[in-house]
Amino acid sequence: MIELHHVSKTYYLGDTRVKAVDDISLTIKDKELVGILGASGSGKSTLMYLVGLVETPTHGQIILDGQDVSRLSDQQLSAIRNQTVGFVFQQFNLLNKFTVLENVMLPVKYSQTSLDFNPKIRAEELLTKFGIYDRRHFFPNKISGGQQQRVAIARALLLNPKIVLADEPTGNIDTKTGKDILQLLQQLNREFNTTVIIVTHDPTVAKITKRQIYIKDGRLVKHL
Amino acid sequence: MIADAWTDLKRNKVRTFLTSLGIMIGVFSVVMLIALGLGLKNYIQNQFESLGANLVIILPGNVFKQEGGFAGGFGPGFSGGADFTEKDVRDLQKIPELNYVVPAFLKSSLIEAGGSSRYGYLMGTSEDYFPVMNLKPAAGRFFGVNEVNRRAKVAVLGFTIADQFFDSPVQALNETVMLTNERFKIIGVAEKKGDNEQDTSVVIPYKATFGKLNPNKTFFTIYLGINSDKNVETAKNKAEATLLKNWDKDDFSVTEQTEILATVNQIFDIINLILVAIGSISLIVGGIGIMNIMYASVTERTKEVGIRRAMGATQKDILYQFLTESVVLSLMGGLLGLLLAALAVLATRPFFPVSLNLLAVVVSLTVSSVIGVFFGVFPARRAAKLSPIEAIRYE
Repeated sequence: MIELHHVSKTYYLGDTRVKAVDDISLTIKDKELVGILGASGSGKSTLMYLVGLVETPTHGQIILDGQDVSRLSDQQLSAIRNQTVGFVFQQFNLLNKFTVLENVMLPVKYSQTSLDFNPKIRAEELLTKFGIYDRRHFFPNKISGGQQQRVAIARALLLNPKIVLADEPTGNIDTKTGKDILQLLQQLNREFNTTVIIVTHDPTVAKITKRQIYIKDGRLVKHL
Repeated sequence: MIADAWTDLKRNKVRTFLTSLGIMIGVFSVVMLIALGLGLKNYIQNQFESLGANLVIILPGNVFKQEGGFAGGFGPGFSGGADFTEKDVRDLQKIPELNYVVPAFLKSSLIEAGGSSRYGYLMGTSEDYFPVMNLKPAAGRFFGVNEVNRRAKVAVLGFTIADQFFDSPVQALNETVMLTNERFKIIGVAEKKGDNEQDTSVVIPYKATFGKLNPNKTFFTIYLGINSDKNVETAKNKAEATLLKNWDKDDFSVTEQTEILATVNQIFDIINLILVAIGSISLIVGGIGIMNIMYASVTERTKEVGIRRAMGATQKDILYQFLTESVVLSLMGGLLGLLLAALAVLATRPFFPVSLNLLAVVVSLTVSSVIGVFFGVFPARRAAKLSPIEAIRYE
């Protein structure tokens, strides 16, 4: 369970102070499928990175499974992020110098604890499940956008995270493939019992989620 | 992590090579300069050691200052001071610890034989010169005491001279050599000594120089052969006391080989240090090249840093990633430079006694890794300090 208590995040863009997230409190329960909606620049991505423990809040508290994670060191935060959170990005964000399989295996490099499973076998299982096993030795720029996003999802799932954060996951692919990707996210929410948070500006994408949180100018405006 | 660094470096082969080139040239020049410096030092050391043990040399002028330092090079010491005479030699011969007292007259001279000519040294000395200098004949024989006393016009050629004028040492025998318009009969050729001064000189009986060549009957130097290495100090003191009766304190120097050797070593150590310092400049320039490329690489891979951070990489992970890369880059340059230097040393060896020592190898590899760390740490820190969110969004 993730709880946000009066969380704010302030940036400085040069000399101007930008309040990207402004006093947001919300709770996301385990195994939920939630959408965070808002126009571009509304602060929804910043909110996602706060929930994903990439950034710490300027004010307020973030509680993950009862532990206050808002003031942890970089080392501690990175360890939790590695084990607990998987990211899926609009740009896929695969590393083109590594093969598909190597990309999926990337989180293993930063695992600070020993794994109780063979990550390579798990990576191959995930690739098989997503229908791209035969592409495992390809480089990402040699496969289609839809396939790249499946690789990214496999990478996000490798270490069995509790939470998968998807930032505009269908933004860079055609409508039909987009539907497939959304189905996949729904499926992993059901089958793997993963909490899935989809960040999008597109209300049709948000339809697949069971609960929607609307953000405007860094503030929570509507909660359905 | 090293494999990762290698993957990245391999992607930009030309850039990697050019960046390493700076360190490569730096290491190459440092190692080569050390090799040349050491080679020269060893060469000179060998020259001294080939003179034989228990040798004390009396030179005109005050070559060494009291502190044992070097008095402004050989120049003033060698141009002024005593012109030793036969009386000095006779006085010195009274010292019981001395086996040999060998006077030597030295003059640069035109040497003509076998139809060609060159400049070399003309050395007028006694028959004892040969045992004191550990010389053996390569052909013929050396002159004896009788030939010295009757001013025989006989000559012993240095190996290089004989080699240049005649097809073989044996062919030089009984031929004539012209020294400053005086004719001498060649009775022997000395074996190769590796000492330029000895190998390019013509040795004749010192009494034969008296006259046109040496009208004042003086000697430039006197070699003393001491009967035992235990008596070197005693003999030196006695020789000094003897000469003080004939000369002022500043007119002559009684020096041991080891003393000269120590000074020569001191000079070469300084020369080596200067050479290494010069070579190090190129190492620093190479390091700056690495730093430059690493900064470019960090900017280029900002997004990658963001992605890795999202996957759970700590700031330290990112720091080490870039640091490993710069160390690999630098070390690779170091190894290539070393390899090149080894080849150059092998190629130069037949002509000059260069030597590649372990110290140079260890130092150059250590220095190149240190350069990798030093010049890599600033770009790597920049990468580690990137804000993950901004890095992920970076296009």
